[in-house]
Amino acid sequence: MSDSIKSSDKKELWKSLNDYNSDPDVLKLKHDEFVEGVTEDFDPSKLSGISRRKFLALLSASAALTATACTDYRDKGEIIPYNKRPEEVFPGVANYYASTCNGCGQACGILIKTREGRPIKVDGNPDHPVNKGKICAKGQASILDLYDPERLKTPRFNMNEVSWKSADEKIIDALNEARKNEKEISIITDRVTSPTSKKVLDDFVSKYPNTKVYSYSLVNDEQRRQAWLESYGTTEYPSVKFEEANIILALDADFLGNEGNYIENMRKFTAKREVVGKTDFNRLYVAEGRMSATGMMADYRISISPSMQYEFVMALINELTKNGSSISLDANTKSKIEKYSISSFNKKDKEKLSHLINDLNSNRGKAIVYAGDTLPKEVHAAVNLLNEILGNAVLYDYSSLSKSLINQSSKEEISKLVDSMKNGKVGLVIHFDSNPVYTLPADFGYSSAIKKVDKVITLTEAENETSAVSNYTLPINHAFESWGDANTRSNVYSLQQPVISPIFNTRQKESVLLTWISGNSNTYKEDLYHQYLMNNFNSTVYTKKNTFADAKSFWYSALHDGVVLLNESTQQNKFNLTAFNNNIKELEKGNGFTLHLTESYFVGDGKFANNGWLQETPHPVTKITWDNYAAISPKLAKQLNVEMNDLVTVGAGKVNLELPVLVQPGMDNETINIELGYGRTVVGEVGKEVGSNSILLMSKEFSLSPYIYNNATIKKTGGTHKLVSTQEHHSLDDTFVKDLHRTRKIIQEGTVEKYKKEQNFLHEEKEMLVGITREHQYTGLKWAMAIDLNKCTSCSACVTSCNVENNIPVVGKDQVERGREMQWMRIDRYYSGTPDEPIVSNQPMLCQHCDNAPCENVCPVNATNHSPDGLNQMAYNRCVGTRYCSNNCPYKVRRYNFFNYRDHFADAYYENDLTSLVHNPEVTVRSRGVMEKCTFCVQRIMEARSNATRDGKTLNGNDVVTACQQACPTNAITFGDANDPNSDVAKLREHNLSYHVLEELNIKPNVTYIAKLRNTHSEEI
Amino acid sequence: MSTVDYTRELSVLEGKPALRELDDLIAKPLESKPNKKFYIALAITLSMTGLFVIGLALTFYYGIGMWGNNVPVGWAFDIVNFVFWVGIGHAGTLISAILFLFRQKWRTGIARFAEGMTIFAVMTAGLFPLIHVGRPWLAGYLFPYPNQHSVWVNFTSPLLWDVFAVSTYLTVSLIFWYVGLIPDLATLRERTSHKIKKVIYSVFSLGWRFSNRHWQHYEMVYLILAGFATPLVLSVHTIVSFDFAVSVIPGWHTTIFPPYFVAGAVFSGFAMVQNVLVIVRKVFNYEHIITVDTLEKMNKIMLLTGSMVGYAYAMEFFIAWYSGVEPERFTFFNRALGPYAWAYWIMVTCNVVSPQLFWFKKIRRTIPVMFVIAIFVNIGMWFERFVIIVTSLSRDFLPSSWAYYKPTLVDGMILIGSFGFFFTWILLFAKALPVVSMAEVKAVVDGAQPSHKDH
Repeated sequence: MSDSIKSSDKKELWKSLNDYNSDPDVLKLKHDEFVEGVTEDFDPSKLSGISRRKFLALLSASAALTATACTDYRDKGEIIPYNKRPEEVFPGVANYYASTCNGCGQACGILIKTREGRPIKVDGNPDHPVNKGKICAKGQASILDLYDPERLKTPRFNMNEVSWKSADEKIIDALNEARKNEKEISIITDRVTSPTSKKVLDDFVSKYPNTKVYSYSLVNDEQRRQAWLESYGTTEYPSVKFEEANIILALDADFLGNEGNYIENMRKFTAKREVVGKTDFNRLYVAEGRMSATGMMADYRISISPSMQYEFVMALINELTKNGSSISLDANTKSKIEKYSISSFNKKDKEKLSHLINDLNSNRGKAIVYAGDTLPKEVHAAVNLLNEILGNAVLYDYSSLSKSLINQSSKEEISKLVDSMKNGKVGLVIHFDSNPVYTLPADFGYSSAIKKVDKVITLTEAENETSAVSNYTLPINHAFESWGDANTRSNVYSLQQPVISPIFNTRQKESVLLTWISGNSNTYKEDLYHQYLMNNFNSTVYTKKNTFADAKSFWYSALHDGVVLLNESTQQNKFNLTAFNNNIKELEKGNGFTLHLTESYFVGDGKFANNGWLQETPHPVTKITWDNYAAISPKLAKQLNVEMNDLVTVGAGKVNLELPVLVQPGMDNETINIELGYGRTVVGEVGKEVGSNSILLMSKEFSLSPYIYNNATIKKTGGTHKLVSTQEHHSLDDTFVKDLHRTRKIIQEGTVEKYKKEQNFLHEEKEMLVGITREHQYTGLKWAMAIDLNKCTSCSACVTSCNVENNIPVVGKDQVERGREMQWMRIDRYYSGTPDEPIVSNQPMLCQHCDNAPCENVCPVNATNHSPDGLNQMAYNRCVGTRYCSNNCPYKVRRYNFFNYRDHFADAYYENDLTSLVHNPEVTVRSRGVMEKCTFCVQRIMEARSNATRDGKTLNGNDVVTACQQACPTNAITFGDANDPNSDVAKLREHNLSYHVLEELNIKPNVTYIAKLRNTHSEEI
Repeated sequence: MSTVDYTRELSVLEGKPALRELDDLIAKPLESKPNKKFYIALAITLSMTGLFVIGLALTFYYGIGMWGNNVPVGWAFDIVNFVFWVGIGHAGTLISAILFLFRQKWRTGIARFAEGMTIFAVMTAGLFPLIHVGRPWLAGYLFPYPNQHSVWVNFTSPLLWDVFAVSTYLTVSLIFWYVGLIPDLATLRERTSHKIKKVIYSVFSLGWRFSNRHWQHYEMVYLILAGFATPLVLSVHTIVSFDFAVSVIPGWHTTIFPPYFVAGAVFSGFAMVQNVLVIVRKVFNYEHIITVDTLEKMNKIMLLTGSMVGYAYAMEFFIAWYSGVEPERFTFFNRALGPYAWAYWIMVTCNVVSPQLFWFKKIRRTIPVMFVIAIFVNIGMWFERFVIIVTSLSRDFLPSSWAYYKPTLVDGMILIGSFGFFFTWILLFAKALPVVSMAEVKAVVDGAQPSHKDH
């Protein structure tokens, strides 16, 4: 017996050799604590196995439990130090993990900041070659979704909670049954960016061969891809080297606003908007029907209906081929093109068009014409030809193709799916993190067809329109709880890693499929997909890389970097002129208004509808929050006799939608622009009843593109709906308030021509300002900021970044209406010019940290005061809330807690144990009655200072990066030490285009603005 | 040729009432039980005060958000009411102190009441700086007291000057009023046979025995206190105006504010005193004590101060234009033509146009007309503060931050409630203390003073 005992059973402490060898007799003796004979009356082996020790322990434990249960003691969550600290977790020190954003289809690289194990901030991954350390407002704010209290917490079957196991078992049975009965299993997914996710889907198809995978996203680049397929034989189109273009013509293309990877585009575009050391400016022409963020940046803006773009491009082709062409055009094509003449567009924009044609002619090979994603395929094809004619194809970056892992399903495919559903041919529908009931145009009849399907399964993070009609609603992990990868650009493979374990009983969506593929509900393990991903990474990425590192080290280093650069070979195809020639046709003419549906800047395709931060971020152009609207031109408004907030009915085909009007200067008179993504019906508390669902206007019958309908109607209906904006809307031709921003020198601008002639034109008249008080001397560091208005596109990434960094609450529509939004940073938008041809100026506005701050001397309790390094500080504890400082602030950048905004919004929606985890622990959460404002991210300054002290160095101004600066995709914001003559900010303060807003008040603000130069042909703006 | 003898002083009181009669008349409301009308009036003012309490409770519980204030309009009804009520208080001190020093005997009939109003108005006003703060439980931070935070108040803030100015004003006014009451309290002590009343009057009359020595001391103290109070009349509203004048906001940053605010305060104060006294003289049958002559004199002061205020409005406009400063110019055009033009024109109509009617003697002496005009003046003066505070803030330097301010229900409750609070005190005062100074009035009865001619 004893020789059978393994060494592992041996004890460290022993009394005898028998004991050492854990002799079973000894063990028995130990258990039977009584000497033989004593237990004659009872048989100890029949007693329970609990020893006396254990019994006493249980007794005392249960007594303690009873005692505590009877008191009203509440566990307040004691703070206990780790007795065994996990590696790399240091209380108070943040950890950063590289990952991939999946807010939209662009898959930017991100760095997630975690503190004590919880994610608190997202920024771009600087190592990522596409977005280079920057992400958009949606990406910044997406962290709030992780902590959304209305995320699904457990699987549900017909609204009843079930266990994963039972759900898995039933679904596997259903899958097998569908396979047996040869019924279709439909998987409907959003745009797939992950190659491994695609592999899972492929595996699924091979396990259940009667599966069909459909990919549908509401906002997509399908028109561009189809045109590319026609012109070049592939759907993978290259990115554009905007940084090398001298002339850019954007046709209804919001490439700086929300199309393509606009973070990348903005960076490339502003590369030629640099005023330090050079003034090698590009010139942006925008021809569009609406007023987009890109349109605001235009040097020349031509308003043209999206349904006229085809004629416009063809006319340009016709005009520009007169000066030769880089590709040879046959006579047949030429004759077809000759029908289009630019003269029909010359009526109102003659001068601009002649500039455009001259510029395009003289910049052949150094210009780019870029059409928007919403325009019809034909326009894209024509634009492709135009770029070929001008030799602009050299600006296509074939090393960075936009990949399409699963092609978007065509409307024929979807119609077929709906038909099969109706005919009972579909046994099972799996919505793989997609919401087609909301996003598909209603006339597909999807929502009624789905009722005919036996089993509908929806994998989703939160309840949505589709899950509401599903049998099974399975909660999936948030992106920050998920593993994943992405390959949206050729040569760039990025990884996604979880930064927090699933908060609720949710699962990685791929793991769910993998479990079903295995056919056994017990297969599920938490790292199921993790292993799968690693294996796939090894076989597809590691093997290709040919590195000396072993697979595991390579995996960890890839995970650390978040991105792996691949060497995918790509080739440039020749333009297919014949196909173009065959497809030249008159596009269907409408006789109504042109309805143009575009993606919302911040709630996307409705995905972010429940994100308060994004709902409350003011629209880049209109500054409207919490709503969408029908944007129409002032002329059309006059014609319809409507004003802002008046309700109109917009009709497209048989569908009518009532929504409020916004009068947008600069819009085409025939165009109605409505944003998509609003009017969600099954959504959390935040997104409910926000805006109107303009997808209802979409139809599969739209012939031009899914987003454009040229037979729309618009009628006044009477009644109003209040749109709330963070900026008052003044009529542009109201002489009373017109151009105040220019006369008050809030916005100072010039043109490149003027600047080339007179470098110092801004400071010709310099007023002497004399102070009567003793000035504070700044001997050490002095913090200052410079904002280059040439580079600001109003994308609002800074605003959301600041929201997240500084714990800024969501106040809700009613409070924004009252003028009580809390964002510390805002982007002011001013119009000058005429209502038809407005000139737009943007200006980020935040606390200016004035040397002679007017807010400081009026505070009766010294709650706001000045630091020796030039910060205008707020001592929240001392603030009694007289609001005098805000009144006396000429910039009105102070924000006041009129309520306790933590619990004011939507019945304390965000005040719960979960959402409060989103707060940055370094920033005080302000309560009601307290004034607050931009601090120049003082917490970051303090962190840099303590790091410098720890390292025995002096603090350098460049060591501090503010949240807005970090987020700015174009690096328009510079921050640092004004007293260090070598710092960037000190140099910008001395730049001859620098100015301060309201300089004449002599309050000496420390935010310097670099005047915007417009690259027009004249010296006057 | 006229036969009016301008060297002869006009009699302050009508007729030649016996001194005893005056005592009886003035003490009558104190010695009789309150009638039904009094209770009805009190019920109304207490209900209004109830609104005040509810409004404040909501504000304290939920926050300033219950009001219409926003960014940029950080101050609205709260500070409008504050300045309005401080202004109302000014008439009392002016009548009792300045007119006293100028030996204006007609003041005797109205001085006591006006002083009382001063105190109640300043009490009402004083509430607003305390309730307008976001965290009223910390309002103590506004006072300089030694504390463990080692934080001192900020002496450069006009809001702090307000704290000192208003509290000094209240203290001095209260003492002045009380000193003036002493001889009357003694008279009442002599008259009453009610035990409790007797004790109270005895205590508060400080052992006054009407002796020559007492009178001498009294006159001296009264004179000194009048001297104290006189600069306060000018300083309090000057300092209140600094809240605005010291700032950088166009429409606030104006050097004309101190005299303009003082004139405005006297203007509105007289209007309020006139309004209340018109009722008091009727209810208490004091027509011969508070005569039409006295009312006419008050109307003349309203005409004067109203014209000063009108001049200030015009001068503000002129300077705004003359300065060449664009935001300044815009602010004033915006007052007259912008979204709050309605408030501006209410102000101009009530404050500048309506008192000009007092050029006509007939109007000056017609009680219903003057009563209505005085009400207009009070409305106008409230709107003056509204125009200065709200209009200037709603459209300041950066057009991007402009916003329209709309008051809420709670704003209205607090405004109405402040009137309730004020008039509740007035009613209690009228029933508890002699609203006309017995001692002083007796001194101005024809023949009460020694004269050269007939003795």
